[in-house]
Amino acid sequence: MELLTTTIRNEADVVTVRQRARQLAAMLGFDTQDQTRISTAVSEVARNAQAYAGGGKARFGLNLDGEHPLFSVEISDQGPGIPNLQSILDGQYVSSTGMGIGLMGVRRLMDDFAIDTGPKGTKLRLVKHLPRHVRPPSPREIGALVGRLAQESGPRIEDELYQQNQEILRNLEELRRRQEDLRSLNAELEETNRGVVALYAELEDKAEQLRRAHELKTRFMSHIGHEFRTPVNAILALARMLLDRMDGPLTEEQERQVGFIQKAAGDLGGLVDDLLDLARVEAGKTPLEIAPVAIEELFGTLRGIIKPLLRGDAVALHVDPAPPGLEMTTDESKLSQILRNFLSNAVKFTEKGEIRLSLSLDGGQVIFTVRDSGIGIPEENLETVFEEFSQVRNPLQRQAKGTGLGLSLSRKLAALLGGEVWAESRLGEGSAFHLRLPLHHPSIPPVQAEEEEETHPAVPAPALDEAPILIVDDDPAARYVLRQILLAENRVVAEAGSADEAREWLDQRPPCLIFLDLVMGTGIDGFQFLAELKRNAATAAIPVIVCTSQSLDDSDLQRLTAATAILPKKDVRRDTVAGLLQTIFPKGAAS
Amino acid sequence: MERIPILRLRDCLLVTIQVDMHDQLALTLQDDLTELIVRHQARGVLIDISALEIVDSFIGRMLSNIAAMARILDAVTVVVGMRPAVAITLVELGLEMPGVRTALNVDAGMRLIERALEEERQAGHGRSKG
Repeated sequence: MELLTTTIRNEADVVTVRQRARQLAAMLGFDTQDQTRISTAVSEVARNAQAYAGGGKARFGLNLDGEHPLFSVEISDQGPGIPNLQSILDGQYVSSTGMGIGLMGVRRLMDDFAIDTGPKGTKLRLVKHLPRHVRPPSPREIGALVGRLAQESGPRIEDELYQQNQEILRNLEELRRRQEDLRSLNAELEETNRGVVALYAELEDKAEQLRRAHELKTRFMSHIGHEFRTPVNAILALARMLLDRMDGPLTEEQERQVGFIQKAAGDLGGLVDDLLDLARVEAGKTPLEIAPVAIEELFGTLRGIIKPLLRGDAVALHVDPAPPGLEMTTDESKLSQILRNFLSNAVKFTEKGEIRLSLSLDGGQVIFTVRDSGIGIPEENLETVFEEFSQVRNPLQRQAKGTGLGLSLSRKLAALLGGEVWAESRLGEGSAFHLRLPLHHPSIPPVQAEEEEETHPAVPAPALDEAPILIVDDDPAARYVLRQILLAENRVVAEAGSADEAREWLDQRPPCLIFLDLVMGTGIDGFQFLAELKRNAATAAIPVIVCTSQSLDDSDLQRLTAATAILPKKDVRRDTVAGLLQTIFPKGAAS
Repeated sequence: MERIPILRLRDCLLVTIQVDMHDQLALTLQDDLTELIVRHQARGVLIDISALEIVDSFIGRMLSNIAAMARILDAVTVVVGMRPAVAITLVELGLEMPGVRTALNVDAGMRLIERALEEERQAGHGRSKG
C-alpha cells in the first residue's frame, strides 16, 4: 500500500523527504531511535539521488500482507547510475561527499536494502520492519494519517521562494540573451547603415556623372548651334545682298535661285534657333520675363502669324475670342512660342478642315487648346511626340518640314512657366494639343532692367571723317557682308581677323567705330578685347558695336555694358546698319 | 538567502542550529564561521545541535570540516547537545568526526573551550592576547 510520494528536485526537497520519513515512522509507531535511523537513511539516499541524478522520487509504502508488516521507502532516479557500486558496498570507495559511508551506513541502519542501478537510473528500496509490540495501523488510520501528511505537504514558503528565485534567474538569463540579441542586431544595423551610406555616396557619384554628361550635351548643343548660326547668317546676309542688287542686277532665274537659297538658309536658321533655345532651357539659362499679358492681343498676334502659313482655302483658322480683358501674368514670348509651335504643327499636318485655337479657365489656371482636323497621332505615339527629334511616320510627314524639336521645346518651356502640355488624338480625325498654365506665374515678376543698348545715349560724332570703321571678326564671310554694307554707305573700312590685328590698326590708324565679334578663333575673345579697349584711355572713346551670332544671357549682357550697341548677326542688313550709323553719327554725313 | 545566525560571545562564536539544514545551508554556515573566526579573532566555536533530529553523513562531515578549519585558524570547536538517537545513528552509520570535541550542553561546552585554551597557554603556544 502506498502511503505517500514526494518529488526530489533540490536540496530543500531532501530535507522534506527525510522529515516525511520521520513523521511517517513516528505515526507507524517506530521509537525515536528508529525514527532517526530511518530519516537518516532516507536523507543519505535522497541526497544521492539529488546530487548525482539531479532529482528523483521518494515513494513511501506500507506492506501488511506478510508475516512482518513492513515500512518501505523506494527512491528512484533517472540518473546515470552508480558505476562502481560493488566497490562502494565493499567499503573500498571513498567519496568526498561521504557517499560511500552513506550507502554502507544505510545498509546498517535499515533491515533490508535493495539496489538496482543501471545507465538509465537507480532504484533503491529501504525496508524497516514495524515494531513487533505495536499493533499495525488499520486502513482507516492509515487513510487519516496520509490525509494529515498531504495537508502538511502543501507548498512550502522555501519552495515558493525557490521557484521564484529560479524564475528570476530564468528571466535574468532571458533578459541577458535579449540584450545580447539587441546588441548584435544593433551591430548588424550599423553595418547595414554603413552599406547604405556607401551606396548613397555611389548614387551621388552617379548622379554627378549624369549631371556632367547632361551639361556636356547641353554645352555641345549650344556650341554646335552657335557654329551653325554663323555660316547660316553669312548665307542669309549674302543672299540678301544679292537680292538687294547691291552688286548689279540679277536675271529672273538668278533671283529665283537666290530666293531658294535664302529660304533654305532661313529654315536652317530656324532649326538652329530651336536647338539653341532647347539647349538654353536645359541649361537653365533661360531668364523668365514675367509681366502682365493681354490674351486678346496675344491671340490677335498669333492669328496674324499663322494665317500666312495656311495653304489655300482648304484649311480654315478659327481663333475663339478670349474673354475680354483677360490678363495673365507670365512670360509672353514663351507662351507665344508654345502656341506658335502648336499652331504651326497643326498647319503642317492638316490638309483640310479647320484649326481652332481656344481657351478655357479652370480655377486659377488657363488651358489653351489647339485642335485640328489633321492626320492624327497613333495613341502609342502621344507621349513620344514630345521627345526630342521624334516624328511620327505618316504621309504628310514627308511633305512637312519639321525640326522635331518644337514640341519638346514647348514642353520644357511650359514646365518653366509652371504648367504642362499634353496631347490627345484620334488617328485620321485630328489632334488636340493642350497647354495648362497658372493664370498668374507664382514667381514675383523681376524688375525689368532697361536694356542698355536701347537707351545708350548717342555719342557725339567724332570729327574723324577720314578714320575708318574697323571690323574685328575671324569669319571672312561675316567681314565681307559688313564691309559691303559699309562700303555701300560710303564708309572707309578696315578689317581685322583677330584682336592682335585689331591692335595694329589701333596703333596705325585709330578707327571711328569698331564692329566687334565676340567669339574669335585665335587670341582673346570679344569680351576681353572690349574691356581692353575701354581700359585704354586712347581707345576708350571709340564706340563699339558688338556684332555676334551668340545668344546672350544676362551675365553676358552684364559684361557688354561698355558696348555702344549690340547687333545680332542675323539682323545685319543694310537698313539696320545704316540706322545704327545714323544714331552714332547724327550728322549723317558721308565721309 | 537564509542563514544560520552566528553569535559572538567574548572570544567565542556561538551557533545554535534550530532548523533542519539542507546541504547548501550547511555549506554557507561553514563559510560564515571561518570568515567570522578570522574577523573576530575567535578562539572557540560552540555549535549547539540540540534541535537537530538527524545528523546524516553530510552534516556530520560539515561539522568535521568546521572543526578542522577552526583548528587551522587556531580555534577550538565543541559540538554540544547531540541527541542520543542521533549519536547512536552516527555510530551505526559509521561516521567518525575526527577533531570534533563534544559536550553535553552549552555550559559544559564553554568550560571545555576554556580549559582547552588554558592548556594551550600553559603549553606556551597559541596566540598572545592583546
